[in-house]
Amino acid sequence: MATFTERMGPVLLLWVAVCLSGSWAVDKGNFKTCDQSAFCKRQRAMKPGESPYRALLETMELTNTRLTLQLINDNNKVRLLLELYRLQGNITRVKINELKPLKPRYEVPDVLIREPPTEPLSLLSQDENGVVLSLGAESQRVIVSARPFRLDIVEGRDVLMSLNSRGLLGFEHLRMRKDTQADPEAENKEGTDPANPAETAKEEEEKVEDGMWEETFKTHTDSKPSGPSAVSLDFSLPGVEHVYGIPEHGDSLKLKTTDSGDPYRLYNLDVFQYELYNPMALYGSVPVMLSHNARRTMGIFWLNAAETWVDISSNTAGKTVFGKMLDYVQGSSETPQTDVRWISESGIIDVFLMLGPTPRDVFSQYASLTGTQAFPPLASLGYHQCRWNYNDQEDVRSVDAGFDEHDIPYDFIWLDIEHTDGKRYFTWDPHKFASPKEMLQGLQDKKRKMVAIVDPHIKVDTNYKIHNEIRSRGFYVKNKDGGDYEGWCWPGSAGYPDFTRPDMRAWWASQFAYDQYEGTMENLYTWNDMNEPSVFNGPEVTMHKDAMHESWEHRDVHNLYGLYVHRATAEGLIERSGGVERPFVLTRAFFAGSQRYGAVWTGDNAAEWDHLKISIPMCLSLGLVGISFCGADVGGFFKSPSTELLVRWYQTGAYQPFFRAHAHLDTPRREPWLFGPENTALIREVIRQRYTFLPYWYQLFYLAYQTGEPVMRPLWVEYPQDPATFALDDEFLLGRDLLVHPVTEEGARGVTAYLPGKHEVWFDIHTFQKHNGGQNLYIPVTMSSIPVFQRGGSIIPRKLRVRRSSTCMEHDPYTLYVALDNRRTAEGELYIDDGHTFNYEKKELMHRKFSFANGVLSSVDLEPNAQFTTKSWVERIIILGASKPSMVTLKTADGENQLEFDFDASMSVLTIRKPGMNAGADWTVTLQ
Amino acid sequence: CSFLSSEMRFHIITAAFLWAAFVESRKIRGISSSYKRFYRERKSFLCIDGSKIIPFEQVNDDYCDCADGSDEPGTSACPRGRFYCTNLGFRPHYIPSSRVNDGICDCCDASDEYNSHARCQNTCWNLGQKERAYVEGQMKTLDEGLRLKQQLIEEGVLLWREKQAQLRELQRAAEDLQIKLEEHRKRKHEADRLKEQTLKALKAGDRGKAPSIFRTHFKTFAHFAELFQFTQLGRQANKLTILHLTHLKIARLCLCAASRSPLKIPPYIWRALFGNTRGAQSQQRRIVNLSDLLFCLAAEWEAADLKKVEEAYETVNMEISDLQKKLEIDYGTDWEYLFLNGQCYKLKVYEYMYTLCPFNTVSQKSTAGTEVSLGLWGMWAGPAKNRYSQMVYENGEPCWQGGSRTTSVTLTCGTETGLRSVKEPSKCQYIMDFETPVACQPVLKQRGVHSEL
Repeated sequence: MATFTERMGPVLLLWVAVCLSGSWAVDKGNFKTCDQSAFCKRQRAMKPGESPYRALLETMELTNTRLTLQLINDNNKVRLLLELYRLQGNITRVKINELKPLKPRYEVPDVLIREPPTEPLSLLSQDENGVVLSLGAESQRVIVSARPFRLDIVEGRDVLMSLNSRGLLGFEHLRMRKDTQADPEAENKEGTDPANPAETAKEEEEKVEDGMWEETFKTHTDSKPSGPSAVSLDFSLPGVEHVYGIPEHGDSLKLKTTDSGDPYRLYNLDVFQYELYNPMALYGSVPVMLSHNARRTMGIFWLNAAETWVDISSNTAGKTVFGKMLDYVQGSSETPQTDVRWISESGIIDVFLMLGPTPRDVFSQYASLTGTQAFPPLASLGYHQCRWNYNDQEDVRSVDAGFDEHDIPYDFIWLDIEHTDGKRYFTWDPHKFASPKEMLQGLQDKKRKMVAIVDPHIKVDTNYKIHNEIRSRGFYVKNKDGGDYEGWCWPGSAGYPDFTRPDMRAWWASQFAYDQYEGTMENLYTWNDMNEPSVFNGPEVTMHKDAMHESWEHRDVHNLYGLYVHRATAEGLIERSGGVERPFVLTRAFFAGSQRYGAVWTGDNAAEWDHLKISIPMCLSLGLVGISFCGADVGGFFKSPSTELLVRWYQTGAYQPFFRAHAHLDTPRREPWLFGPENTALIREVIRQRYTFLPYWYQLFYLAYQTGEPVMRPLWVEYPQDPATFALDDEFLLGRDLLVHPVTEEGARGVTAYLPGKHEVWFDIHTFQKHNGGQNLYIPVTMSSIPVFQRGGSIIPRKLRVRRSSTCMEHDPYTLYVALDNRRTAEGELYIDDGHTFNYEKKELMHRKFSFANGVLSSVDLEPNAQFTTKSWVERIIILGASKPSMVTLKTADGENQLEFDFDASMSVLTIRKPGMNAGADWTVTLQ
Repeated sequence: CSFLSSEMRFHIITAAFLWAAFVESRKIRGISSSYKRFYRERKSFLCIDGSKIIPFEQVNDDYCDCADGSDEPGTSACPRGRFYCTNLGFRPHYIPSSRVNDGICDCCDASDEYNSHARCQNTCWNLGQKERAYVEGQMKTLDEGLRLKQQLIEEGVLLWREKQAQLRELQRAAEDLQIKLEEHRKRKHEADRLKEQTLKALKAGDRGKAPSIFRTHFKTFAHFAELFQFTQLGRQANKLTILHLTHLKIARLCLCAASRSPLKIPPYIWRALFGNTRGAQSQQRRIVNLSDLLFCLAAEWEAADLKKVEEAYETVNMEISDLQKKLEIDYGTDWEYLFLNGQCYKLKVYEYMYTLCPFNTVSQKSTAGTEVSLGLWGMWAGPAKNRYSQMVYENGEPCWQGGSRTTSVTLTCGTETGLRSVKEPSKCQYIMDFETPVACQPVLKQRGVHSEL
């Protein structure tokens, strides 16, 4: 919601005038390029192959868990301290900080779920050129070279990854400003270093460049009290041609090389009408990159919350397919290689090298560091109806009634900023929402829920309780002069609570208590928008970097701010229920670890076909770095979609994790029934499809919560050896078993989907037609088509009795879709719990495994220690790719009985009628 | 059947009776009486669409066998099925099967939640009461509305006639003015011609001719003279100064003098016109100058007169076209909506005051005081069977992201005329509810609450 309203203050008008003056899209001039960001420019100007860093091997200390070693910059004699850890689960951590920084440098807290457990390191060999250490069992070694400093991680004879191999390690040490009187103590300190008397002189020779001590962008000046403090490091990935991740960017899944333009930027920003297919920063940042080739998947997690730029280059990027083939045929010298370079404005180098080797290993390695996806309430996997804004209670009531009238299910209706009393969050407009509890009860009566927005900017108004409390407790972020930082946002002048403070977060969380946040009850959930943070009159529409979070500059913590807002809010929702209920909180800004607090969406997109297409790679990229609960505004936020685009977007969104329609204030209404009966029917059908798959979605989220595996995943994750899948981002998998190729082209008559797996078969979920894997399949489409395939070899439980909301379907029976593979086997799971509490942590759950082999389908308990009972039963078993049996027998603890069945010979579909056993029972169904 | 004892016969009859009672008790759930014939107890059941035959035990057995859902009228098993709420005491209706046993009370007789946790009460009687009261109220409103409507129709017809008469009157006035206009045009043309001639003659230096022209056209000037009363003006003339005289008056004064004695201008007029300074000039010269002046002034006077008539004519024509435009609007079959034209209705919603002037404008005024047009009269936009149920006002003030504000007004039956609600569901798209007796339709009298089984 980055745009203004006509009611906004005059300060905004200028900004808006700028927005309106150009063509439709983002005004790139409002955001920095690398050249306009002094540290990026300085660092990018470094030349490869001239690293001044040398490892001082004589300073090496090796304990059981840690290697430390000093590095020296031969140009200025500043020493760095390298720490190297071997972490459990095939992860190597490398930390580099100044040996004696002038003052402490920021190390990102609260992102790792714990201090990562280490494994022993051992010295293999050592000479004057370097050291070789063993990284545990997998014949992995790390080679530390001394001159220039370099790290290589080697497995067998293969180099997996090299650090500083191009000599682009950069570490701007903290220093005293030269144009002010140097503090005698500091001089003293420098003088006391006995190792190099020349140091001081040398350092003084360093030239002061523009932008080191002050930087101005547009009208904003950054006072940079600490001077230059950037860090950077390069990584080489031999044999790698595909890298992914580092969201959030409106770009393809496979990251592009950045030699000819700007690096990918990670700096949480409220971008008005963002453009696609470029490396500009968006609302969130996860500094995690995955590399993949047919043999190995790895990850680099650069734990730094400051503004960060990532350069990618490749020695094969420029080559044509023919060129690559020629290399191959000729046995060309050069192996493909991708080089990556990370540049951050401040903090330290703290990088986790996740060495795979499989995609699943990388997911679990990353999960072991930052945690997994919060297990969401089941209802939040249903359909969400949002708009800026539903105007008043009557409007909410009538939209709710519209869903019933048109027999379309939904679980959540949303309220944007206009529901508040003058953009004062935690309040309701006294006229339009005069009796919110009555409204919430009305929804509750239909087993539906609501989300109301709570943004982190607080109206400066002495009659506003929240503001007064935050001010009196001193919880606001401070400006560089020590006063409360104020910026412009929706309410006009606003303060920004310092969410980096645990006491502030605890206070914030307490505001969600039912007796604090008036008019709320348990079916009201929360949405955090504008938490980049968005400051309309700030540099790049965000907070000044010299604003202060206690002793840290905003510069150090910027990308973390949104995560903290999200976290405090989610904790508030947990607390208000006494720790019983799972929260649901949506956030726009995020960082590594945000997955632990809820869902994210791709921000203020637009009603354009390209934005529909990009929703796939954007959510895939987030899923790869742990954030599974992702979605894009269905229909597009800005502008008004054509009916065709809207229908196609519903069809796509229904198969993405977070399924919410949303629209800008200035667009015409677009509730699903406003486009004629035909389109209403198309939208109803696809939302119903979503609801039939809820058991599968829920199970996938449980899996994501347990393992960190993405719910929505690129094909290469499941077919890592098939290069044809490596760059695919117009189709995706849900779990392992559903392949979705949405129609995202205007006027499409057909789509070509790649069905992976040479030995796989895939069944069209609508027609049950069987297709072989390992081929590009042309699928003719009409407006009702959504190409979705179930993998042969899988069993998917569905609930076909689609009701008003997911909660209404709680006790409904299951239909099992058993899709047989070429060996006539299949496997699947079913996960059930109460759908909304944390009781699953106490094993109040049911997790079953279905397998089909040798004509016998059986259900066994995967969690015999768990306790949960369900009323749900199995009403139907549909076996795809079956042959006709003569008899079907059900065997349960109660005995045996024969089942009726129906066989469709043309499609080889066997439907077993009403086996009737409880979904939690042990049973077998035998085909004879 | 004599071999059957009466006792046996009694047993058979009893059995038959019991059987019938049994069948009755095993009533098929979720169907209306008109569908009962499809569900007569037999060995098998034919799906209503004829697609399949299933054993009768599979009717309402909580498994969907028929593609049309007809085998499960009483359960939630079929995706597109429907459940019949009998709602004795209220209105019967169908609900989607998916609302059977979903824990939410949908049928007022609670029949949809026969196997759920929901504790549904039978509220049909209450609802029926309320509905009956409501319908009664509606009926009263409708009756009163229709009565008022009849009045308004009568008034409308009168108003229509009045407007028509007004139009005719205006048209007549226009015709008159047209005739007058032509006359004036002619006169002006003549005066122009004379002016030209005189100017030409003067240019040629043929001063002597001027009085003769003057004499030649004496009649024309004499005609002017008729238009005012000379004597009166003449008597007052010595009190006037030239500054106070319009050229028209000068012309008139001169003319009168001339008409009596063309060669002699009374000295008081002369003084009035030119003052005493020119007393030395010869009579002849005076007369020539005066005649020149007269021709020029006459032409100007005619032009001014013509303009006046033209303006009057234009005004009348504008009035005619305004009235015609007004009368061109569709005011309903009996001109019943005509009375709304010219009225304005106001309603305050939150911080805004809305004004609807039917057939003209819609506007919104904020408490801050700026007035924004929400549209100008566009057209009737109701569905074909009731065109007059909705009005559209278009081309209001432009919106930030393109387009302009529009308002759609729904007319509903009520005993009073007024604006009842205003909404802005999307930016710049307004919806108003407007209540008026003329929107009352006799067809609205609908069936009452049923009390069938």
